[in-house]
Amino acid sequence: MNDDELQQRLRAIDPASDLTPADPARVARLLEDTMNTDLTDTSTESTGPGTGPGAPGRTARRRGPLTWVVAAAAVLIAGVGVFSLLGNDPESDDVPSATGSSSASEGATTTSPTVTELGAPAAANAKCMVPNAELLSTAQVAFSGTVASVAADRVTIVPDRFYAGEPTDSVEVEAPPELMTALVGAVSFEEGQRYLVSANDGQVTVCGFSGPFSPDLEALYVEAFPG
Amino acid sequence: MANDDSRATERRARFEALAPELVEPLRRFLARRTDAATAEDVLSETLLVCWRRLDDVPADAALPWAYGVARHCLANAQRSARRQGRLAAKVATVDPPAETSPGPGGPDGHDGDDRLHAALVRLTDTEAELIRLWAWEQLTPSEIAGVMDLTPNAVSIRLHRAREKLKEIMRKDATASGHEESTEGRTP
Repeated sequence: MNDDELQQRLRAIDPASDLTPADPARVARLLEDTMNTDLTDTSTESTGPGTGPGAPGRTARRRGPLTWVVAAAAVLIAGVGVFSLLGNDPESDDVPSATGSSSASEGATTTSPTVTELGAPAAANAKCMVPNAELLSTAQVAFSGTVASVAADRVTIVPDRFYAGEPTDSVEVEAPPELMTALVGAVSFEEGQRYLVSANDGQVTVCGFSGPFSPDLEALYVEAFPG
Repeated sequence: MANDDSRATERRARFEALAPELVEPLRRFLARRTDAATAEDVLSETLLVCWRRLDDVPADAALPWAYGVARHCLANAQRSARRQGRLAAKVATVDPPAETSPGPGGPDGHDGDDRLHAALVRLTDTEAELIRLWAWEQLTPSEIAGVMDLTPNAVSIRLHRAREKLKEIMRKDATASGHEESTEGRTP
């Protein structure tokens, strides 16, 4: 059997060959719903540890997938009244302007510190590439900051510089404990230490893209996010 | 504010131009990999990611990029499904979708090539995915590379191996069962 024959045989069992095209009206509605999903996430409290796309969403398989995605895929979520213990600088009262990036929201009250919420990557996804600026530059969120606390399912970081993403007053990384253990191990988060952290799709990147602050890593961040 | 409005309008226009092209291929992509209900959920999720990350969609390779997103969303959906102890076996294989209309191939979507079905199941996840992307989505190695986050070179090599493995499994199967109708080495 040559490759063409194999491909023929495979195509003969293509499960999608019987798939009838979707009703155009339904597609139109789906697209409309998609575009009506605000880029700036209005869900202010996003279901505890289920924040990262890899994390379990309570409503994951229920009828409203969009609702879940709003919580799950959000890169930046402005939290209301979350943990004002953190360096609460008066400037933070400014509501970030609605620039079309995923950031703060109408739902957030103007007096709360803004929070970037991130999740941990699923352990199964760990595939490492040599860290390079080109790849790093695709991160939607990148910042340096000092770890304020490490708990079983949450690491809180006080950022001092945002290279990418809408700056917020603090960053919460939330994940179920088993994922968090892996993440803390991968990045070696320790209280009081300074880190460079980047995230894609709301998940902290590992494999050398996030790590303790070092001149080398900083140089990489500067190269990836000039200006 | 007017500026924001026009940016939003422009963004919608871009998405409206892009998304309809993606919907049918994505539906087929998902129908090949999961059950109908999950497919529907993951489709909306995938579109939402495309909407949110519209600026990241490569102009010349939007579909492979979207397949990559769908693959990711599907993996997430399957992880949470597994975590909740549901659907475990159902989603992991290339089972035909539960609710497609019966086609000429047969009422249950199974079209008689049991040996090929059996062989596919014996590939690793990555091998099977390479095979599916090649045979069903009919992507080139460099497009597959975009979907799977590999280099085109790695895809070529691994795809080649996966095809050989698949053929080998079927060959052994045929020999083991003493199957007569093997097409191997026969010329009509």
